[in-house]
Parts: sequence; structure tokens; C-alpha cells
Amino acid sequence: MSDATKTGAVLVVGGGISGLTAALEAAEVGNDVYIIEKNPYFGGRVAQLNQYFPKLCPPTCGLEINFKRVKNNRKIRPYTMTTVKSVSGGPGNYEVELETAPRYVNSNCTACGDCAEVCTDEIDNAFNFGMNKTKAIYLPHEMAFPRRYVLDIDSCSPDSLEAIRGACKYNAIDTEMATETFTLNVSSIVWATGWNPYDRTKLENLKPESSPAIISNMMMERMAAPNGPTGGKIVRPGDDKEIESIAFVQCAGSRDENHLEYCSYICCMATFKQMTYVCERYPDAKIYVFYIDLRTPGKYEHFREQLRTYENAEFIKGKVADIIAEDDGGVTVVAEDAVGGGKVQQKVDMCVLATGMQPALGEQGKSLGLNMDNNGFVVSEPDKGMIAAGCAKSASDVYTSTQSATAAALKAIQNAQ
Amino acid sequence: MSMNVQPDIEFIKDMKEAGGDTLKKCFQCATCSVVCPLSTDENPFPRQQMIYSQWGLKDKLIGDPNTLLCHHCGDCTTHCPRGAKPGDVMGAIRAYAYKFYGWPAPLANLASSGKNLPLLVAIPALVVFLVWLISGANVLSHEDFLHAGYTNFFGEGYMTIFGFKLLTWNVTFINSIMIPTAALAAFASFKGVTALWKKMSDNTGVGEALYRPSVPQFVKEFLWPSLVEIVQHERFKKCETNEERIRGHQPLMWAFIALFFVTIYSLISQDVLGRFIPSLHGPMAMWNPVKIVANVAAVAMIVGIVILWKNRNQMVEDNQGGNTFYDWFLIWMIAGVGVTGLGAEVLRLIGVVKLGYLVYYLHLLGYLVYYLHLVSVMMLFLYMPYTKFAHLIYRTCAMTFERYRDSAYVKNPVK
Repeated sequence: MSDATKTGAVLVVGGGISGLTAALEAAEVGNDVYIIEKNPYFGGRVAQLNQYFPKLCPPTCGLEINFKRVKNNRKIRPYTMTTVKSVSGGPGNYEVELETAPRYVNSNCTACGDCAEVCTDEIDNAFNFGMNKTKAIYLPHEMAFPRRYVLDIDSCSPDSLEAIRGACKYNAIDTEMATETFTLNVSSIVWATGWNPYDRTKLENLKPESSPAIISNMMMERMAAPNGPTGGKIVRPGDDKEIESIAFVQCAGSRDENHLEYCSYICCMATFKQMTYVCERYPDAKIYVFYIDLRTPGKYEHFREQLRTYENAEFIKGKVADIIAEDDGGVTVVAEDAVGGGKVQQKVDMCVLATGMQPALGEQGKSLGLNMDNNGFVVSEPDKGMIAAGCAKSASDVYTSTQSATAAALKAIQNAQ
Repeated sequence: MSMNVQPDIEFIKDMKEAGGDTLKKCFQCATCSVVCPLSTDENPFPRQQMIYSQWGLKDKLIGDPNTLLCHHCGDCTTHCPRGAKPGDVMGAIRAYAYKFYGWPAPLANLASSGKNLPLLVAIPALVVFLVWLISGANVLSHEDFLHAGYTNFFGEGYMTIFGFKLLTWNVTFINSIMIPTAALAAFASFKGVTALWKKMSDNTGVGEALYRPSVPQFVKEFLWPSLVEIVQHERFKKCETNEERIRGHQPLMWAFIALFFVTIYSLISQDVLGRFIPSLHGPMAMWNPVKIVANVAAVAMIVGIVILWKNRNQMVEDNQGGNTFYDWFLIWMIAGVGVTGLGAEVLRLIGVVKLGYLVYYLHLLGYLVYYLHLVSVMMLFLYMPYTKFAHLIYRTCAMTFERYRDSAYVKNPVK
């Protein structure tokens, strides 16, 4: 008990798998931990996946237990819709100014859903990358933690707002809520700010906006997920065609000086995984994978071997550098087969861009006084109590992220003592 | 069977000097081959050329028509994810090939390196100067300049044998410089093109074709369509990025074609007919249609080269193309020919207008500029087969070969 009072607090920025892990590791050995998340829910990118490595579990598998641990741990104070505004002070005693955006729904909410039923306004579902709509008052996703609705007040008409207020039996709607700022004093900060899928519209030569048949690998995850926009069906956006052929475009933006200079580490594995989604649903569908190299580190090699021999799959060594939208809704991907020679023009029903990971913190990191590398990843400074974890540190899979999060927690509490 | 690849260090060094120093960055993603507007489905480039260069397989590269078909628009370089600049590497391979096929080798080597620039200028400068000295170091008076222009640069009067007037001294001396130079260039071109054709045939197995076209068939089916394509800039236009370059290249090409015919005309009228009709000597009148063509061509040449000069600067600035001697030398030479040619004419015309005392020195300046004009023309002729100017023959050859390769003579349609 006396030890605990001596321990300085830890702030964890980001509530994805890395942030949750770091927060729990630090709190479960007795430190005070604040964990903040920009979104109205915890779980980050993992929550958006259909299955994740290493065991191809659904995200509920790992996240649910972590949410429970967070709920039961009085040392952890979670804040959603909260971002860092500024960091001042020095190692051992940082003063962090934070800002919480208004949710317009208070803690009375039981997530009964009556409000959404009466709401007449719809917005793009950001959790599903805009592939479907959601009501302007919504639960971010089925498994959302905290289990509380969010109101997008700007997209709500006065009538709708009135109806929502009327429908809520618990007096949970509070349209008077305002942006709140508050200050925390912490000893160290774990930056687990995660990643964003690389903006595919920047891949100009692939013309991703020319056809709805061109999707990103994260959109594919959402489609395959049972709680996704299609209820787990993989169909072509736009006309809902069941696919007979699909192309995976590897290194879409990664390993490219003009986009992301580094290898995003996960896209090859993500493609192999998504091949299994396709195989399960359409055993006869032809799968084409266009790649530069296939990178499946460590024991993932076996997974690759398994899929390389899949009879309906064809692997073409050559990066897709052109995609042509076809009249029938499909697309033709163009690459040079560097092994066989000659150009390949493959017509497919749908095409998945294996877009890479872009560090989500970006330029803001520098203004917060963080040491950033040229690619926007945070370089840890353990002596200063500034520690990076997960994909804020480098492009990595869940397994590596949790490892680095645990390591970050250790550094953070060492600094906090 | 194992293969022992011996990387050719000299080749790699040459490539680096010619602007291909980035070639090792390539990781063979093949983006370049897809974004290239000229690369075809059966024979994509430049991905393959990049790996051949990395491996030092120069034999494959110098006999590869694809390297010559590239028009260096720089799209591949723009999209290259590694900064390997395939466009520059292709240019470097071409520079190397011109040198490789160049005959005589010492001259080809000399013309391919920027370090030799002083010597490259000095040789023609000295030759023309010496011939001028031998011809009697004639400097005309102002009055004669107004009347004869530069037609007595190498002396007045006729070379006679047994009282029979052959040619004017001036023509004799000019011919003594330009005809051997042009003949050398023509012979070197012939040798180079033959060697290239053989190499390309060997590399692609075209040499084993069962039936060969006759010469008229060959010209009609392969060479002529290629020339038409070149003149119309059909392939050049496929590189959309090159729009600005085409605007420069087109007038330049037409200027060369026009000036070629003007020179032929002038040769016949002055040197052949002029023997019998003395009035044909001297500068052509400004209203003479041929003179008008010549002047229009001269302006087109300068306009063209200015556009190309600016465009090259822009390419370097935008990182689409390298800053190499190979690319610049041709631009400098043509600019030199254009500016000195038009400059000499303008000075002569100013000389006609009475401008007071200063005008009496104009003819000296005119003579100097005319001298520089002869030097730059000789440079252009002499170095044609070894510098970027060689694209004139080698690219034509490759385009013809491409047609031949894809024709029924080579591709057995029955098979």
C-alpha cells in the first residue's frame, strides 16, 4: 500500500490492443493508469477485424477479456473521445492537458437502442469505412466498450433530436454537453496511438475511386466480419455481386518512397488470411495475388505454404501499377510477371488493395515534443518516460504489438518510481 | 547447369557515369513496366533491363531493341517506389550502346565522356582553323563581305586543272572538311547499325527465320512504316508526359529535314550549276523560296532547341531525368549550330545596312561566327554516331527491327 502511494501515474495514449495491454500491465502491478482513446470506444483496429493472428481468433476473443480487466481494475481510469492537447513539465512529472469531445449521451445510457429507432438521420458508418450507414445516434459497434451510444449532433435535425430525447427512458441524452479540458499529472506516457490504413486515394495510378470494386484490405475485414456491413458476406460493393474472382494487390502504398517508405509488415499475412475468407465462402473463386515479395515472418511461413498450394490461387510476382474499371462492374489489374515475362492483364470481379499502416499520430507528435522518425513512428525515450508501443512504434502485428506494449509498461513503471 | 555471371565492372562504371548510378536500388517490383506507355504486353520494359544492368549482362542489353524504343518520358522514374530511376538507367544503357557500336572506338570513347569536352571542341576548331590557314587565311574587306558574304571564307576563285574550272576554292576546302567527316559518320553508322541488327537478331533468335524479305519488301514493310511513325511522332506522342518535348522535337526534326534539302539544293546550284552560271554564286537572295525555307528552318531549329533545353532543365528539376553530359551535349551542339548559323546570317544582313563606323568591324565578327558555325556543324557530323544524336539511326533501326520481329517472317503463323 505504501509502495503504491509512491508510484507516479502512467498515461497511456490510445486504447487499442497495445494501449489496453500496456495500461493493464502497468495497473495490475499497482500503478495508477489513465488510458485515453480518441474514438468513442476502446479496441482500436483489432475491433474492426474479422479474425486476427496468430490464431485467427475473432476480436472478441482477446478484447473482451481485456475490457473486463479494465472494468474490474480500479487503478485504471479510461477516457473515450479524449485527445492530448499539450504536454509540459519534464520526466517524472508531466503535466498533460487533455480534451474530451462531447458524446451528448451520459452514463445513464443502457444501450437499449430506443433512441436509434426513432432517429431519422443517417451518417456514414466510420467503423465500417463508410460502406454502410448508421443512425446519427449509434453504438459504434456491437461489442463497443464502453457500451454507450454516441450522438452526432451536427447531423441531427431538430425534429430528430426531439424524438431521440423523447425516446430515451433514462434521461441519458444531454445536448448541453460541451468540450471539456482537464489536466493530468503523470510520471510517464505510453504512446500507443496506433495506425490508420494508408489513404488509398493517394495511390493515383491505381485509380481507387474509379470503381467500387476496388476496396482496401481493412474494408475486406469489415465485410468478412459477422457484425460488418454485409453481415459477413463478401460481395462487390455497389452491386452486391457474389465474387467469382478476386485480386489482391500487395504493397499498395508500402515500400514506396512516394507513399510509405517502409514495409507495413502485416499486409502479406492479411492477404493470406483474407484468402481463407474467400475460400470459405466461395470455394470455386479464383484468387490472384500480385506481390513483390511475400513476407511471412517466423512461424507464419507454414500458413503461407498452405495457401501457396491452394489450387484456385495464382501468385504473380509483379506489383500492380494500373487498374482499369470495366463496364460490367469488375476491374482489370495490370502487372508485369517478373518471373514468366510479359504483362498480365487480369480481369477480376473485385480487387483488394493491401494498403499499409500509417502511424496515426503523424505530425502532431512533434508538437507534443516527441522524438519521431522520418516515417512518423515514435522513437521511445525511456529515460524521459516517453515510450512508444505497438504500431505507434513500428508497423507490427497484434502479437508483436502486445509484446512491445508489455515492454513499454515496464519502462513506464520504472520511470514512474 | 550452373551459370557463372561475371559482372562487368567497366560496364557498371560506364552506366554510373551516364546517369544510371541508381540502378542498384531497383527491387524488381515491375511498376515501371506497367506505367510505361510504350512497353507492350509481350515485351515489357524497363524492369528486365534493370535486372540485366544489375547483373552486368551488357551483352543482352546492347542487343535489346527495347532499350532503344524507350523515349525517356520519365513516367517510370516518377512512379518508381525506390528512386531507382529506370528512365535514367535506360538512357545510360543507350549511351553505352552507342559507344559500344561506335567506330572507330577511340573516337567513340572520346565523344562519350564530359571530361573530354575541351578536346571535343578543340578537334573541329583546329581542323577548320588549319584548313582556313592552308586556304590562305583569307579575310575579306568590308565591301567584299557585303557582296560575297561567307562564300569566299576559304579563298576566292576557282580550283582549275588544265585551265578547266572545277570548283571554287571555298567549296573545295569546305568539302575537304565536311565530306570526309560525313563519310566517316555514314560509315560508322552503317557499321553500328549492322552490328546492332545482328546482335538483336542473335539475342531474339530472329536470325533463324526461314524466309527473309527482299530489300524492297524490307523497306516497304518495315523501314518505311518506321520512318513514317518517326516523322509523325506517333510513338513519342504515346508518352503523354513528353508533350512539351514533342513541341520542341518536332520543329527541330523538320528543321533538320529542311536544311538537309537546302544544303543539297545549294550544293547543286552553287557548286555544280554555279560553274556555268556565275550569278548563282554568293548568298541567295532573301526572296528566294529556298532561302525562305532555310530561314524558317533555322528559326524552327532555334525554337525547337530552346524548348528542349528548357524541358531538359525541367526534367532535371522534377527528378524525371538525370543531369548527364550525354543528354546535354546534343542540346549544346544543336544550339551551337543554330545560333552560329543564324547569327552569321544576321551579321551579314546588318552589314548591308549602313550603320556608321562600327559596321566596318562587323564583317570580322561575322567571320568569327561563321567559323564557329563550321566548327559546330563539323562537331555534329563527326560525333553523330557516338552521342545522343545516334538515336537517329539506332532507334530507327530498333523500331524497324521491332516490326520485323513481330512479323510473319519471324513469327511463324502456322506454328
